[in-house]
Amino acid sequence: MAGKSGRTISNTPDKSLKSRLLCWESMMILLFILVNVLCICISPTYNIRNVFREMPKYLIEMFLLFPMAYILVLGDIDISVGAIVCLSATMASIATNNGVPFLVAAVIAIVVGMLCGLVNGCILTMFTELPPMIVTLATQIIFFGIAEIALGSGGSISLTDTAGYKAISAKIGMVPVVFFVVIVFAVIFTVILSRTTFGRNVYAIGSNRVAAYYSGVPVQRIRLLIFTATGLMAGICALFLTSILYGANTTTGKGFEMDAIAMAVFGGISTSGGKGRLLGGIISGFTIVCLRIGLGQINMHPQLILIILGILLIAAVLVPNISMAFTKKKTA
Amino acid sequence: MRKKLLSMLMCMCLTAALLAGCGSKEDTTASKSADTETAEETTEASNGGYALVTKAAGNPYNEKMAEGFSDVIKELTGTDAIIKHPQAATADAQIEVINSLISQGVSSICIAANDENALQAVLEDAMNAGIKVSCLDSKTNSDSRMTFVNQAGTKEIGTTLMEAILDITGGEGQFAILSATSQATNQNAWIDAMKEAMETDDKYSKLELVEVAYGDDEPQKSTDQTQALLSNYPDLKVICAPTTVGIAAAAKVLQDQKSKVKLTGLGLPSEMAEYIGDDDAHSCPYMYLWNPIDVGRLGAYVSSALVNGEITGAAGESFTAGDMGDYEVVDAGDGGTEVILGAPFKFDPSNIEEWKTVY
Repeated sequence: MAGKSGRTISNTPDKSLKSRLLCWESMMILLFILVNVLCICISPTYNIRNVFREMPKYLIEMFLLFPMAYILVLGDIDISVGAIVCLSATMASIATNNGVPFLVAAVIAIVVGMLCGLVNGCILTMFTELPPMIVTLATQIIFFGIAEIALGSGGSISLTDTAGYKAISAKIGMVPVVFFVVIVFAVIFTVILSRTTFGRNVYAIGSNRVAAYYSGVPVQRIRLLIFTATGLMAGICALFLTSILYGANTTTGKGFEMDAIAMAVFGGISTSGGKGRLLGGIISGFTIVCLRIGLGQINMHPQLILIILGILLIAAVLVPNISMAFTKKKTA
Repeated sequence: MRKKLLSMLMCMCLTAALLAGCGSKEDTTASKSADTETAEETTEASNGGYALVTKAAGNPYNEKMAEGFSDVIKELTGTDAIIKHPQAATADAQIEVINSLISQGVSSICIAANDENALQAVLEDAMNAGIKVSCLDSKTNSDSRMTFVNQAGTKEIGTTLMEAILDITGGEGQFAILSATSQATNQNAWIDAMKEAMETDDKYSKLELVEVAYGDDEPQKSTDQTQALLSNYPDLKVICAPTTVGIAAAAKVLQDQKSKVKLTGLGLPSEMAEYIGDDDAHSCPYMYLWNPIDVGRLGAYVSSALVNGEITGAAGESFTAGDMGDYEVVDAGDGGTEVILGAPFKFDPSNIEEWKTVY
């Protein structure tokens, strides 16, 4: 039976060695290795130490990738996450500058993020006919607006006490703390999406929302939960970003949502819902990070790097469609 | 089909590799330090090159700065300078760029900062790695730099602009200021310096500042604000716009309406050439700006002096900047130090033809 995304669904998943080797994720691993080989060839300074040192700035966007993968699988989209990051980072910085201990400031960042996510979720589940793109566009503007008012006339706030933030931007050996945190979250989110009933339900909603509803899947409750979790992850992302920026400003978090969506789509997660695996997204995330670090080290023009990423993204979307056209021709 | 998929992926990678190859050739990659092992092991950075980080790609003012910087570095060291543009005009993007430069083991970084405080962590990392960090055009906080190349002292700009207003009005009358946004730190500092000059010197006593208008550095809003000034103050003699966007917008309004109100301020010669002239047909008798090429050149000399150990960035030190003469490191009043390029440069009908093609 062909689903709405054009793929065939069989009762028993194909688990043969051949299909495993040739799945999208294996291709991504191959590409990841290729990118690293390429970077080592073109840049004499591309080595583990430097990659780990440059990584945190890019890695924090992975916090947004995890929940974004769920949202895309649901067939939804959330473009307000960048603004949530900005608002959370602003609130955490303001709290710290008012003498609040670091742990409390951290909780504030996460709670602010969660509340923002809850707002998105409530609007989208109470008025299910509203398109998520428009709703989150509106909340994006609102969250950025609140953040800009809170930031005041200078448009920038800097931490007066950086002690706690230095702890989370520290390194263990040469590996930054944030790397371990990202890996832990990666495992949790991947296992939930691919190995639990909850994860199955998410795919069911994405494949056919109405059918899922009539099968007893609590569609709106799951959407509310996921949008709130997205806010929470944006709060964590904000915390780590604050530890890098020592504060927040009006451009903090701008464009993060698009980077997260790009990583997910490049990893084979379809924006039309019900398709793709988080593992692919995570590998693609690391691939993009390594590519940007490598190309940055040879002083390539930044816009050229963006063009390359754009081409890769288009290729990632085109390849499955083209290959599908070939299979159709063969079976026809 | 699987084979096709595979081959397609390979093509993709090849394209990426190809593009990467092209990119590295067209950009100035001087920092291919052959001995990477030592570059990463030793805390003292090797002579890995002199880097300039701009505010964003496509900023014409920064491009000219980069030009001056490259010329001097080429002349001093015989190698190309590393000019790095961040992906966007944000501090976030500059952090990525600086991290990359630390990896490359450059000797010095000269940066036009997009945010005063946000770069502190990464610039401290850079200085810990032995890289000499200085700022130009727009500074970071004093903890994240060794010194700052200031294009013009706040006081010099304030007095120069007041002198111009005094001269154009003929000694008395009303004038207004057309600024950028109400939060712009440099604009506010200059306006404050102008007000201070008016208070401290008696010769300005017959001048009256009627309003400070804000055009937000948008051509349309600046145009609207200029028109509002003209209708609100019929006796207005001079508008002073210390912002390049504001002055260009105001110049067009005044010249189109054949207004008697004259204009001065800080503007780009290329944008203002058609408005500068002594007769009634032109709206702006003369204006000022510093020379971005010289800002870049001085930035390069400062970087070089820091790397050679001639200066450490402490107040009171002095160094020679080639044919630009001797400069002194002075206290910047924010806990750090700065090197002041000099008084702003005057553009009048006699030299505008020559400068309008430069920037």
